Amino acid sequence: MKIEKKLIKELVDNLKEFNLTELEYQDGQTKIKVSKASKSIEQSKGNIVSPQNKAVLNTTDNSDGIRVKSPIIGTAYLAPEPGAKKFINEGDKVKKGQTIMIVEAMKTMNHVPSTNDGEVKKILVEDGQPVEFGQTLVLLK
Amino acid sequence: MFKKVLIANRGEIAVRVIRACKEWGIETVAVHSNVDADSMHVRLADESVCIGSHQPQNSYLNISSIMSAVDLTGAEAIHPGYGFLSENAKFAEIVKKHGIKFIGPDSKIISQMGDKIEAKKIAKKYGLPIIEGSEGGVKSLSEAKSIGKKIGYPILIKAAGGGGGKGMKIVNEENQLENLFLVAKTEAKKFFGNDELYIEKYFKNPRHIEVQIMSGKNRTVHLGERDCSVQRRHQKLIEETPSPVLSKEQRKDLLEKTVKMVEQINYEGAGTVEFIYENGKFYFLEMNTRVQVEHPVTEVQTGIDIVKEQLWIAFTGETALNQSDIMPRGHSIECRINAENPALNFQPSPGVISVCHQPSGFRTRVDGSIFQGCKITPYYDSLIAKVICKGRNRTEAIQRTLRSLDEFVLEGITTTIDLHKKILNHRKFIKSEFDTNWLSKEKFY
Repeated sequence: MKIEKKLIKELVDNLKEFNLTELEYQDGQTKIKVSKASKSIEQSKGNIVSPQNKAVLNTTDNSDGIRVKSPIIGTAYLAPEPGAKKFINEGDKVKKGQTIMIVEAMKTMNHVPSTNDGEVKKILVEDGQPVEFGQTLVLLK
Repeated sequence: MFKKVLIANRGEIAVRVIRACKEWGIETVAVHSNVDADSMHVRLADESVCIGSHQPQNSYLNISSIMSAVDLTGAEAIHPGYGFLSENAKFAEIVKKHGIKFIGPDSKIISQMGDKIEAKKIAKKYGLPIIEGSEGGVKSLSEAKSIGKKIGYPILIKAAGGGGGKGMKIVNEENQLENLFLVAKTEAKKFFGNDELYIEKYFKNPRHIEVQIMSGKNRTVHLGERDCSVQRRHQKLIEETPSPVLSKEQRKDLLEKTVKMVEQINYEGAGTVEFIYENGKFYFLEMNTRVQVEHPVTEVQTGIDIVKEQLWIAFTGETALNQSDIMPRGHSIECRINAENPALNFQPSPGVISVCHQPSGFRTRVDGSIFQGCKITPYYDSLIAKVICKGRNRTEAIQRTLRSLDEFVLEGITTTIDLHKKILNHRKFIKSEFDTNWLSKEKFY
C-alpha cells in the first residue's frame, strides 16, 4: 500500500486548525487515524479551568482606564449586605485602598481595595455575579 | 421504611445521606444548583432536580424550590444534612404542613434551641450546668456593668440570635464595656436582625466537648462524647473521641446529665449538646438539632450508623438503640480536609482536582464528595473530605491518621492535609495540652 504523505499532512493540519485531539479518515479500504499526544490533552484541560483568565490577562493595557481586578475567584457583591448602600457608584471619587467591592469565596468575604486614586468610570460586574481570578471589576480614570 | 427521601444539601454530607438511604433500600432525590450539576451527590442519587443558581439563597436555601422538587419527585421525607436549612424552624414547619416528614426534631425545638438565651434557660431547668452570666437578655449598659462586677472580668458579650463565633466581644476590663456593648448591639442588629445581647463569663483556656444523642419517643441514649478543641476561627478542624482530658467520673456525670436533659424535652432524632470544659468543670454551650460534620468519629468508635438510625427514628418515631448495647472501643480521630491554604491564613483555594488518590487500609475511613477532575467551586463551604481513623488507643489512632494523611494525594488545589500532619506530630497535640485558642497562637508556617 502506498502511504499518502500529502493526505496525512492535510489531516494533521486539520487537527491543529480545529484544535482536535484525534481524527479518523476512511476512504474505501484505506483508513488513517491521526492523534495528538496526551500532553496536549492535559494542556487543553488546563484551559478549561479558567478560560476567561487568559482573555483578561492578555488585555493588560490601561488605555481605557485603570483596571481594578479581582484578587480571587468567587461571587462579587457591590454592597456590604443586601439592600445596603453600594461601596461605590459610577462618577464617585475613590482613594487607593478604599473598599470598592466584596468578593465572596467559600463563605469568606474578601474586601477588594482600589489600586489607585481616581474616579469610577465604569463598574463592569453586577451584584451577585460570579467573577474569575484577574477579571476586571471596575474601570477608573 | 420510607420509599423515597429528598436530600436538601450538597457535598460530602449529601453523599453520606444517600449512602445511608441506599443501605435502607430507600430511593434518593438529589437537589442541586446549576454549578453542582456534575457533582458526586447528583451522580449517586437515583433522581436529581436543579433548584436554582449558584448562590445558596437561590438554591440550597430556597424553600419553595425545594418543596417543588419534593412535589415533582414524590419524596416522602427530607433529610436536611447540616448547615443550609437544617436548623431553620420555618422550613421544618413548612415541610410538616405539606405532609412531608422532616428528618429531625419538631420545629418548636429547633426554634427554642436556635435562640441561645432560651436554650440556656431550658438547659438550666433540666439540670445542666450553665455558664455564669446574665439570666436572659441584657437591656442596658448599667445592667451589663452590674453583671460584670458580679461574675468578674473578662466577660463575653454575645448576640441572642448569633452563632458560629460571629458578633462576639471579649471585654477584659470595665472601662472597655461601654464601647464594646454598643458596638455589639449595632452589629447584632445588622447581622442577625435582633439586637438582644447576653453576657457570659469568658474562658481563657477552654476545651470544646460535646455529647452525641439519639432520641425517640421510647428513650434517649448517648453515643459518648467528642473533643473538638482543635479549632481555627471558632471552627473545628480535628475531632476525637473519647476526650483525653475527662476522668471516668467526669465523663459519667456529663453523659448522664445530658441524657436526662434531652429526655425531658421530647427530642426526636440525632442531636449534639455542646459544652465548654475548663478546670475540671463543664458548662452548657448550645444544642445542635441536626447531624454534625464530625458524626463519623462517633460512628467508627461505636459501630453505629448515626444517619441510618436518624432515618429509622424519623420513620418509626422510636430509637432501636439500647444504652447497654452501645460500647465505644479504642480511640478515633477525624481530620477535616478543607480546600484552603493554611500557610496563607486559610485563604480559600478553589480549583479543579487534577489528581485524586484517597487513603484506605485497616480502620481508615474517608467521607467526601471528591473525584479526579471534579471542580471545587468558590460558592460553598471549603470542606471537601474527612479522614477518620480508629486505633486501639490514642497513640495508634494518631499514627494511623498520619499514615492515612500521607497516602492522601490531591493536586490542583491546596488543602489542610499538610497542616493536619504538623498538628498530629506536635508535642502539644500528642500530650493533649491545648485549648480552643491554640491554633491561633501557634506558628505552624
